[in-house]
This record gives sequence, structure tokens and C-alpha cells, in this order.
Amino acid sequence: MFKKLSIMRGLALLAISGLFLSLVGCGSASTGAGSGASTEARDYYKVGVITSLSGAEVYGGNVTKYGYELWADAVNKKGGIKVGDKSYQVKLIYADDQSDPTAGANAAERLITSEKVDFILGPYTSGVTKAVAPILDKYKVPMITGSAESPTIWTQKFAYTFGTIPAADLTANSPLDTLAKLPNPPKTVAVLGVNDAFSKAVAEAFKASAEKKGMKVVKYDVVPAGTDFTPLISAIKQLNPDVLAVGGHETEHMQVIKGSKSLGFMPKAFVMHYGITTPDFIKNTGKDGDYVYGAAVWTPDLKLKDDLFGTVQDYVKASKEKFNAVPDYTQAGCSATGEAFSAALAKIGAKPPLSEQQREQLVKALEQIDIQTFYGPIKFATDGNWYHDNVGLKALTIQMLNGDQLVVGPNDMKAKDPVYPVPAFNAR
Amino acid sequence: MGLFMQTTVNGILIGGIFITIAVGFSISYGVMHIVDFAVGEWIMLGAFTAFWLNQYTKIDPLLLIPFIALFFALVGYLFQPIIQKVVNIKHRSAAMMALAFTFGLSTLLRGSALTLWGFNNRNLVTMLSEMNVNLFGITVPAIRAAATVFSIFVTAAFAFFLYRTKTGITIRAAAEDKTVAGLMGIDGHRISRLVYAIYVGLTAMSGVFIGSIFSVFPDMGLRYTAFAFFVVVAGGMGSFSGAIVAGLLLGLISSFVSVYVGGAYVFLILFFILYLILVFLPKGILGKGW
Repeated sequence: MFKKLSIMRGLALLAISGLFLSLVGCGSASTGAGSGASTEARDYYKVGVITSLSGAEVYGGNVTKYGYELWADAVNKKGGIKVGDKSYQVKLIYADDQSDPTAGANAAERLITSEKVDFILGPYTSGVTKAVAPILDKYKVPMITGSAESPTIWTQKFAYTFGTIPAADLTANSPLDTLAKLPNPPKTVAVLGVNDAFSKAVAEAFKASAEKKGMKVVKYDVVPAGTDFTPLISAIKQLNPDVLAVGGHETEHMQVIKGSKSLGFMPKAFVMHYGITTPDFIKNTGKDGDYVYGAAVWTPDLKLKDDLFGTVQDYVKASKEKFNAVPDYTQAGCSATGEAFSAALAKIGAKPPLSEQQREQLVKALEQIDIQTFYGPIKFATDGNWYHDNVGLKALTIQMLNGDQLVVGPNDMKAKDPVYPVPAFNAR
Repeated sequence: MGLFMQTTVNGILIGGIFITIAVGFSISYGVMHIVDFAVGEWIMLGAFTAFWLNQYTKIDPLLLIPFIALFFALVGYLFQPIIQKVVNIKHRSAAMMALAFTFGLSTLLRGSALTLWGFNNRNLVTMLSEMNVNLFGITVPAIRAAATVFSIFVTAAFAFFLYRTKTGITIRAAAEDKTVAGLMGIDGHRISRLVYAIYVGLTAMSGVFIGSIFSVFPDMGLRYTAFAFFVVVAGGMGSFSGAIVAGLLLGLISSFVSVYVGGAYVFLILFFILYLILVFLPKGILGKGW
């Protein structure tokens, strides 16, 4: 008996160590890029990237990673960032914030003190961004986030934090505004939100814009992440609102669509924000995800271009080739962060590695840039409630159809008329 | 009235999902005195196994359940001696060692899943996914109804096994008092392995339902770890019937609070009630735990 047991034990141990090895093997492969030793003299820019590579927001974290990587690829292919008469390559050093603000703050500290990065490309979530920003102010290292959208980041006026996407309270009103202009506008709205910095801001903005347009908000509930939506959707079904608006990320959006369908709840329209353009949402909801309304500041069919990426269509092609993913406005916003840094570095003529004084100058230069990119104009606000946010981009209302994001508003930008009320799930 | 009925039914359906997990978790705690932090990861692995098997064989995930239950029971059976070995290390507190070990296991499994399968959400489509059933004017998602019915069935079978078979009686004896059971000639190690195997099998099986109700991703099990604790503490440590009642209670509280008070308060109220139970009913709501 004893002998038999020990064979079993041996087998089980073997299986476990196999799991371990595969983890360790893959782990080191994915972080290998970041193991360069820090030397004072180097002829490339060390760029820290803090984003969610594990934890609840790992999906979006990778969307930002795609964006930052495409920028690094594009700029290195051109020889690097041109400062004076010489170009310097960029090297991305990743730090995982585990979708957790505290872990994000630690990651920032590590990037700055042990990796000695020159500047940082920012986190996916607003929650992490808010935790990282004070660390950057302390060490005087500038960061641009290409993703975070919570307005509360900007009201705190962090000196070293910038963002390329306009805050959610500047964009989330657009879908309901578009719907309000229809001949038969929605009269009642239910709003659900998840209690994180971004999703809550979106839910608040949905509520505010609905009330401003004279719609009645019949239910407003902001719930902790991980809540089962079924009872909430049941309760909302009884109230029978014209629109169900949801502040969340792709996982919650999928659950709301799935839950509504299985409970037989079909409002005249679903309104959501970031997440519905992600391949996961499109693939997993299929036809059920069609006709969902959302807001975006950039879509893959805009007619914009710049010197680095070429046209928007060139950018989309590069993304499809490298990641097999159609970029959304967050990914593109992340790619654009690097362009802002390149422009500011060129302006002050700062070669790597950057001294503290040069980093201070870099912030001043970032405050002054006014560039046109494939993403649209980048010019950061220097005062007011959206301090250091790129507020100039116009919010578009989009509606999904067959996995494509169609611009349906505002009127001067629309490619198609909005469909409202939308066809029921079983009539598509 | 319609809303009240709908809320009640929803609560029972949410609770139904928890019962199978809770029963296995509770019995495994009762016998092994090990709080398994990796409970959510067994759920996740069950769901992923169903997903991949479905991808390659095109067999409906619901039909794969018996296979998944057996397969993970085997995994649990092979794995249990390692936990036991860690717990038995001399001069260390067994409970602490078990906590640390299973916590590490949970992180390891989640990390491995993330590395191997990536961060994407996957949809586990079953024959019941698109359907809903109408009960007395209340719309009920078919897959949730099936999960509840199935869980009642499995729990009943498990109860029969525990109360009517000889092995079941030895398990209960070991759960009640391992030392005395040992003196009566019950092989504690064998029983522990068996119980852990049953627990892992039941939990992975629930993962198939959870994966098809929500979606399949590496972090999907996390919330169930917290809920498993709720159910075990509220039901009384190691109590079978307590786990069932606590599972239903959990579902009903979640459902009623989110409809009548607000979704924001679900966790707050849930864990406040747990606190009250700990203070006033330390042996669980049925007073059967220890």
C-alpha cells in the first residue's frame, strides 16, 4: 500500500512540476524584454509601460499593450525618435499592475527606481492611473495614458500625468444625445454601472445626459464588480424602460446582453461605452451584440493620417498583421501617446537618458504641443477640470453591426442613420 | 407580486449554482480540515476543460459533465496526498500550511491558465443557452433552471451516498471525529483522498454550468472562492444540510437585496449577515457545524 501510494505521489508531483515549468518558461519569455540592466550611458530611450497584464482587466490591458507596441515598432522601424541630428531607438519595459491600483503604484515605483525609465506609457484602468499619478509626481517622471477615461483623474491636477482620450464625461453623453434627436426619442432609461473609476463615471454621465434631454431615469444602480446581473435585469424588465444604459467593460457588457436575452428582456436599445468594439464582445455576443450603441472618439474608418503610421487604414493593417485585431479607440489612443512624447522630446532636444531637469522640461513641452496625428489632434488642456487631458477630440456615437462600428452621430459626422428601436434578439 | 415571485425564483436559481460547490467544499473541510482557497480555480478548470473538449469534439458541454466530473475526481484523488504532505509537516500549524498551500495553488492555476489560454473571454454554448422557460408567467433562463435541477439531483445523490452507504457513513464518521473514527478502524487517509476527489469532481462539474451562464476566463473562479467561504461559515463548518441552506440563503439575499435595496449593497449586506451569524450562531444557521 505504501509503495503504491508513493508512486501516486510521484505522479502527482510530476504533473504539478510540469505545470510549474510551463508557467515559469512562458513567464520569463514574456518578460524577457524588460530585463536589461540599467546603465547611465545608453543611446536608447527606456520607456516604462504600466498596464493590466493579469487580473480582472487583463483583456483591456492587452489592448493597451498592442497600442504601445505598435508605436514602438513603427518608431524603431524609422530609426527611432529623432532628436537633433540623431535618432534614438525606444525600448519598452513592461510592468504588470495586476488590475490592482496598489500593485500599479508598486510597479511604477519599481520602473522608476530600479529600471530608471525615461518616461512612462500609462495604465489601462482609471483606478490604477489614479494610484500611479502621485508616484510620478513624487519622482518627476512624465506619463501619458492612452486609455484611462475617468474625469476624476484630471480634476486632481497631477503635474506629470497626461491622457490622449477625452474623459468619459465628455464622451458618454453622445449616444443618448443622438437618440434624443430622433423623431421618436426614448422616454425612459435604466442605468446600470460597475463600481470602478471609469464605469461609474460613464454611468453618471449616462444618467446626467438622459436627465438633461428630458428622459426619465427609472433605475440607477452602481454595483460592485463581479455582481450577478440577473436579478437586476429582472427588476429592470418589470420597469420596461426604452433604453438600458450600462457603464462597464466588455465582460459586463457581454453578461448584460446574455442575461437580457435569457430573461427575454429587449429594450428599444442598449447603450454602452467602451468594450463593445473589442473582438471578444463581437465574437462572443454574435448577432446579439448587433445594434448596441456606444461612444468612441476614433473609429477604424476615419480619414486621418500622420508621418509615423500613415493613414488610419495603414494603422489598422499593421494591427491586423501583428495582433490579428482590429484596433479600437483605446488601442489607437495608446499608439498616439508615443507620438506626443516624440514631438515633445524633439522640441527640447533631450537625448537619453533623461535627467530630472530634462523630465521637467519634457512636461512643459508636452503642455505646449499641438500636433495632428492619425488619431486626431493632440493638445492637452493646461487648466480647468480636465487638466492635462486631450479634450479636443470629438465624441462619436457608434452602433455595432456585424462586428463593425458604424458612426451614427453627431449629424455632421454620421456614416449611417441610427437604427431605433432596434430589432429584437430573435428577429435578426 | 410578479416582481416578488421573480426575485424569489432568481434567488433560488443563484443559490442552486452554489449548492453543489458548497456541499463539496463543506464536506472536504469537515474531513480534511483544509480550507481550499483554490475552489474557484477548480471551477475555472472545469469550465475550460468543457470549452476545449467542446471545441474539438463538438459534443454539447452539458453531455460532457459526467466525463469532467470523473476526470477531475481523478485529478483530486492524485493530488490530495500532496496537500496532506504539506499539512503534515512537523512543527507547523496545519491550518496555516493548508491555507498558504492552497492559496499558492490558486495563484499558480490562475497564472497558468492566463499564460496558456490567454485573457480572452470565451463563450461556452450549450443546447440550453438560447432557451428560456416560462413558469407561472416568470421567465427563467433554461440553463440556470437546468443548473439548479441538476444541483438538487447531484446533492440528493450525494446525500444518499453519505447517509445510506457504508463508505458514506465512514466519511461522516471521519468528519465528526477523525481520531475516534481512526480508533474504530477507519483509514483516515483513504477517506480524505476520496472526499477530496469527490469535492474536486463536483466543483469542476459546477464550472461547466457557471461557464455557460456567464463566460469562461482565467479569473472566473475568484468570486466563488469568497462565496464558498460565506456558505461554509454560514452553514456551519463541515455541515452538509447547513451548506445547502446557506447556499439558498446566499442566492435569496443577493437577489432580494439587488432588487429591493440596490445592487451596490449586495456584498455589504451579505457579509454583514455573515458577521452576525458568526457572532450569534457560531455553529452555523442550523447549529450543526463546529
